[in-house]
Amino acid sequence: MAERVLELQHVTMQFGGVVAVDNLSMHIDQGEIVALIGPNGAGKTTAFNCITGVYVPTAGQVRYQGQVIVSAQPQGKMKALYAGSYKDFPSQRVTSTPDAITKLGVARTFQNIRLFKTQTAFENVLIATHLHRSSNLFTAALRLNHREEKQLREHALKMLEAVGLMDEKDELATSLPYGKQRRLEIARALATNPKLLLLDEPAAGMNPQETDALGQFIQEVRERFDLTIFLIEHHMDLVMDISERIYVIDFGRQIATGLPQEIQDNPDVVTAYLGVEEE
Amino acid sequence: MKAFKLSIAFLLALAAATLLFFSFQAKDSLPQLLERMDPHQAALQDAQMQKARDRVLDSFAEGNRERTLRNLDRYTGGFSDSLVMDSRTGFELFFYENGPSLSALGMFLLVAATALTGLVFSRQGKWRRAALPVVLIAALYAGVYILENMVGGSSMLMTVLKKGAIYALVAVSMNLLNGFTGLFSLGQAGFMLIGAYIFAIFTIPVESRPQVYQYYAGGLIQFEMPTLVAMVLAGLGAAFFAWLIGLPVLRLKSDYLAIATLGFAEIIRAVFQYDGLGPITNGSNLLRRFPTFQTALFPFAVAGVSIALIALLIHSTYGRSFKAIRDDEVAAEAMGINLYRHKQMAFVISSFFAGIGGALLAMYQTTVQAAAFTSAMTYEILLIVVIGGMGSLSGSVMASFLFVAASEWWLRFLDNETMMGSFRVPLLRSGFRMVAFSVVIMVVVLFYRQGIMGDRELSIARLTRWLGRRGKGGRDG
Repeated sequence: MAERVLELQHVTMQFGGVVAVDNLSMHIDQGEIVALIGPNGAGKTTAFNCITGVYVPTAGQVRYQGQVIVSAQPQGKMKALYAGSYKDFPSQRVTSTPDAITKLGVARTFQNIRLFKTQTAFENVLIATHLHRSSNLFTAALRLNHREEKQLREHALKMLEAVGLMDEKDELATSLPYGKQRRLEIARALATNPKLLLLDEPAAGMNPQETDALGQFIQEVRERFDLTIFLIEHHMDLVMDISERIYVIDFGRQIATGLPQEIQDNPDVVTAYLGVEEE
Repeated sequence: MKAFKLSIAFLLALAAATLLFFSFQAKDSLPQLLERMDPHQAALQDAQMQKARDRVLDSFAEGNRERTLRNLDRYTGGFSDSLVMDSRTGFELFFYENGPSLSALGMFLLVAATALTGLVFSRQGKWRRAALPVVLIAALYAGVYILENMVGGSSMLMTVLKKGAIYALVAVSMNLLNGFTGLFSLGQAGFMLIGAYIFAIFTIPVESRPQVYQYYAGGLIQFEMPTLVAMVLAGLGAAFFAWLIGLPVLRLKSDYLAIATLGFAEIIRAVFQYDGLGPITNGSNLLRRFPTFQTALFPFAVAGVSIALIALLIHSTYGRSFKAIRDDEVAAEAMGINLYRHKQMAFVISSFFAGIGGALLAMYQTTVQAAAFTSAMTYEILLIVVIGGMGSLSGSVMASFLFVAASEWWLRFLDNETMMGSFRVPLLRSGFRMVAFSVVIMVVVLFYRQGIMGDRELSIARLTRWLGRRGKGGRDG
């Protein structure tokens, strides 16, 4: 069996009375491209945020390479309010901040692009290389780390080159066209040297040609950097094209899982996407 | 071309060496100079002249240069008929009178010659780019020193320059936090107060303490420290308090820092005036008799080094992380930047330099009193940062000199009641200056939000481009 990179067990996220993610269990193996799909508001991005530490889930566990990075059970008011379907909570409580999870090797992009607005494309990527620094405040301020600094700059350039943005490296990130901003976000995520890359709707707002190119690009990146990729996507073409396995959620619940062609033919999925035909 | 540049450098070095040599020699040779000016011993016959001459020598022996120059002027002016003033004597007299300025000029020429030589021999772009800024900075410092010797240390111009340099440091430290890390703090005056007090408390000479702490039996602390050590300690003290405030506040997501630091600044001002702490802080009484500026170069040097350190930090990998936090906290965290650690770092460093700024302000004012460090001081500095441009160090520096010059000098007339003939100019009365500043900040915030510089920095390339455009525009128009 291939190595488990990411494993979610009974992850449940409840906001007030709304259960956004309910008892979601899934796993991703080394080198896979796995997609999480579902209609609008199904809880896909919430699931992402639970993995990356932006939210602490109400209950459930997340393991990364076998290590528990998140483990939670309802606390405080949630104990009484809890409405998830999963009841057998883990006993330990582990939470990680987003930066700690990134340090472990999980990088992400955002659904609504979040580049550093006042920085150039190159600087955006350069910021993300800071995880490789060994300099402290004084050696950095007094420029005693110039050799390391040079390496960081070279690394950032390599990432820009990998996503094909070398010509735009000195342009302000926000002045780039939409598709290139998406690529820049991926370059920035790659600069942290991840093993697992989470892509939140990478093809949002792209036309079919751009989406096609993106699909190829994602596969190239996986080969080149030996990555495991987990993506949320709306574009069915892209998902069916590149993903090896698919999880489908609706109203926070997992309704199907399997290979692309299995998902395409699954009546539950069709219902979730197209609604029930009234007789 | 190379030979030409080298010979220029050689000439510059030669001129520098000449200037330095003669001004150094003239420094101690005043008695011999007086002998030579009076070869016939005319002073022995004239009691008044003898007296004037003795006064010169006495003040020279005391080492009081300012008085020596005054007495010398009186002596040479009053008895010019009896004194022999050949060209060599005149030359040496000139060097004695203008010694400091000329040696400053000499030092500058030396730097220029070194930079030029470096330019010829270095192949690395890094050094080539550094040459011009180094020369400009040397010119700035030499200029300040020469100016001080020309217009006198207590003139309005020097007052503005000294206070401007101090405010520049504090404004830059505030900009590091507000402009570069996106944290809004309103505690600058509080951290300056801590810095000023720590500096004053540890540098008042032991023999002066009974007078300063007259209500507290000479105070508790009975030792003194060198100026620079106390100054670093002042920064560390302010940084420590910042760290304490940051522990709870910086873990929160929202703008609690502004409220917490504003409260802290008010509380610390009250605490330092508390009678129970009198043996250390002298209660609500003044602290005085600690070392003050000998020359305007001191605040310029300390502020210059501090600002340079902040600039280096901002352009390092840590500075990049600060800017990332300012631009987008969520994305910064997703890139592995520990928000709390970096915010705490920026806050502590900013407060460290605010503390040093406070120590400089104490030296500038020659006395320290907690009541002077009001929140109005913080707002003044905030005004400077906004006018200069959030996220521009050079903007902050320029704006602080502008602000200090305006508030201490150019806009003074707004505070005085003025009569034009029998017409009393309306509105002009004490405090109107502050009204003018309020209007300025409103105008800046409403119409000119970027300030002078926005988030750009002043650079030689930008300056020449700007000047070039102006020149061209002038010809076209």
